[in-house]
Amino acid sequence: MDQEPEAPETDLQVPAPSAAPTPSAATAGKPAPRKQAPAKSAAAKPAAAKPPAAKSAAAKSAAKTTAAKTTAPKSTARLTTTADTPKRATKPRAPKPRAPKRETVLSIRGLSKRFGDTVAVDEIDLAVTAGSIFGIVGPNGAGKTTTLSMVTGLVRPDSGSIVVHGVGVWANPAAAKRIMGVLPDRLRLFDRLTGAQLLYYSGVLRGLDASTVRERSADLTTAFGLEDAADRLVADYSAGMTKKVALAAAMIHSPRLLVLDEPFESVDPVSAANIIEILQNYTKAGGTVVLSSHSMDLIQRICDSVAIIVAGRLLASGTMRKVRAGASLEDRFVELAGGRKAAEGMEWLHSFSD
Amino acid sequence: MVAQFLGLKLRLLANLFRRSPWQVVGIVLGLIYGLGIALWLVVGLAALRFAPVDFARAAVVVAGSVSVLGFLVLPLLFGVDDVLDPRRFSLFGIPNRRLAGALAVSALVGVPSLVICVVAAAQIVTWSRSFVAVSFAVASALLIVATCLLGARVTTSVAAFLLATRRLRETTGLIALIALVSISPVVVLLTGVDWQRNGLAIIESLANVLGWTPLGAAWAAPADAAAGEFGGALLKLLVACAFLGLLWLVWQALVDWMLTTGQRESEVRDYAGLGWFSRMPATPAGAIAARSITYWMRDARYRVALVIVPIVPTVMILILLVGGVPGRFLVLLPVPIMCFFLAWSTVHNDVAYDNSAIWLHVVAGTPGWADRVGRLVPALALGILVIGVGTPVCAILAGDWSMLPSLIGVSGCVLLCGLGLSSIMSVRFPYPTVRPGDSPFSQPQSSATAATWMQSLTVLAVIALVAPSAILAFLGLEFGALWHFASLGAGIVIGLVVLVIGIAWGGRIFESRGPELLAFALRN
Repeated sequence: MDQEPEAPETDLQVPAPSAAPTPSAATAGKPAPRKQAPAKSAAAKPAAAKPPAAKSAAAKSAAKTTAAKTTAPKSTARLTTTADTPKRATKPRAPKPRAPKRETVLSIRGLSKRFGDTVAVDEIDLAVTAGSIFGIVGPNGAGKTTTLSMVTGLVRPDSGSIVVHGVGVWANPAAAKRIMGVLPDRLRLFDRLTGAQLLYYSGVLRGLDASTVRERSADLTTAFGLEDAADRLVADYSAGMTKKVALAAAMIHSPRLLVLDEPFESVDPVSAANIIEILQNYTKAGGTVVLSSHSMDLIQRICDSVAIIVAGRLLASGTMRKVRAGASLEDRFVELAGGRKAAEGMEWLHSFSD
Repeated sequence: MVAQFLGLKLRLLANLFRRSPWQVVGIVLGLIYGLGIALWLVVGLAALRFAPVDFARAAVVVAGSVSVLGFLVLPLLFGVDDVLDPRRFSLFGIPNRRLAGALAVSALVGVPSLVICVVAAAQIVTWSRSFVAVSFAVASALLIVATCLLGARVTTSVAAFLLATRRLRETTGLIALIALVSISPVVVLLTGVDWQRNGLAIIESLANVLGWTPLGAAWAAPADAAAGEFGGALLKLLVACAFLGLLWLVWQALVDWMLTTGQRESEVRDYAGLGWFSRMPATPAGAIAARSITYWMRDARYRVALVIVPIVPTVMILILLVGGVPGRFLVLLPVPIMCFFLAWSTVHNDVAYDNSAIWLHVVAGTPGWADRVGRLVPALALGILVIGVGTPVCAILAGDWSMLPSLIGVSGCVLLCGLGLSSIMSVRFPYPTVRPGDSPFSQPQSSATAATWMQSLTVLAVIALVAPSAILAFLGLEFGALWHFASLGAGIVIGLVVLVIGIAWGGRIFESRGPELLAFALRN
């Protein structure tokens, strides 16, 4: 099952002609072989020519502050097409994007899962680069949760490989699980614990020592606005608060990769903005986020790359700009998902019965 | 309107049969059970037709009062799932009076309603002794059916509405348990009565009292009429009518209130600090132990299992005492039995109790042994406490200190073997249990599987593993102290070996079956 994190070749992706990197090449210290892919295209040269040394903290933060709220001219160099690189170059404040070639933190190849007769996930390939926010969108029942559950080790795949930071999730689960922080959707929490206890429990289960957990719990409680609720049972929390405490618990061991299934569902707008900021700061520091959501606007706003999954199949993936192809993500999504249902024959709705 | 509601209820009932085969089997069994009871009651009531009036009246009134009480109280205690909750119709804009009426009538459809209708009709046969008695009986039959159904309707809604908060739902279960336990003195009292001589007199006087209460009035009216006391019969019919009217008013008010009031909020308690988590080592095993202890204290499902631990040996010993088993042997029983229930009660299915929250352990890559050990800690601690306190007390009661080692040996072996096997069973053969937050007495959502049978087979394995220690203990009772120490040694050694193997093997299963455990929890 353990395969090298090679770029998947889905239809929308630019084939990466570089020699297949070995798993060891995928570690953070060796970005060299990856550099070659965009370097092939002339337009990408300014970015690609940038030596890895330019990845200094100063350059990073400068690029980041400008890029943070715009649509993703950062980090996903391996997935970029020739089409969007010139545009990036024209951006006034982003002439120095971060290192052009970044490690693939999550690589999924040929992932499939059946439940009885229904195919939940059908031969999905994905590659997520370090330091990016990767969004997965799809209609209800498309297989988003199943895909993410297979990544996090909660659902056993029928076939395919998942490699996280060079570690096969199903070949070496113990090591792979240490790398990930997980927020599943619609699973219970140990809700007879208080919020503080749940955070402590999650931290200690992840192998942190008591003082570190206490410190981080305090930070997380403040960051997520849970101060008043920390001593109450999670069972008494509202849906949004439960989501927030689960999200905090997912982060407590400072994982390299966060896998978040519907992190913004039933979270109020203020908290959502707060969480987005936390996630963006996290990716700036090199962390990676994979999240699923129903909210197209939100995905379009915060994600660098996106995958559209419909009926278990990957219809598009790549940088946000490329997948959108000039339209809004929502329009593109509706188009790929089979178009809008014609809302005809509902004229009676316009004559009111009372 | 009423027809639509009746149709809806019928459809809901019919849809029960479209579930999984096992559930359908359960429903069919329930139906057969209900109809069997009805048939049995009908035969009984018909037979009473030929009994003397006084006897028939005593039997009908007492049994009838109990059934009315059942309709009123059972929904409160066990929280029936109300498919026709008035609040579900709040957005349809139906006038409250009509809604209340339609819902009350639709309560006619259902197995308990069918049974009470049949029984109410059968009591007409009992009183078919004169025209007047029959007419009273017909009126009573209508009143009985209406009272039972409307009463159940009201209390079901009260349970769904007023007792809806999580904490209350859990406590009502505990109250039910305590009520059941506290009935036992009454049972003992009743068994003390010389039924041969005074039985009928007691029931008759009971019937006289109940006949004037709302519970028994409708049942007693035709009996009075049959006995020729028409004044009494009329008055009792009035009492029954008044109670029914009161129920109707309460029902209407309740519907009004339910439609205009939000869900009750439970009071939220604060728990300062980390509780047991700060008292346990900050390792996965320690944290899981702290979590288990917290759950044993906070979660009603665990509390109920814990309450049962001392009750079972008490009841068993009472039965055996009545059966004439000498007390000298009985003294040996309670500690091993309590150890068995401690080691077995929730621990053997502990993963199922977590439901889908188990994902946290899977995702964190928790070492299997740590998960196993952590879950055992509360049972082990309580077990050691029970053995430490219980065995000396039992030895004193038996008047024989020499048997103390074998008592400790056998009890310890039961505890350790039970925990060891539980460690394997709870990951390999979890079976559906009550979900977190549900009443501890509610039924699991899905029914029995092969796992349930596996679990009961393992009980035999515990007995087999304890056998050497127990046999040595019996030799000790016969031949003296040395055998007692042999029993202690055998018990502890076998127990520790089984425990270690159980933790190691169970841990390995846990690590390899994480996704399957979660899939099981999601099906549950």
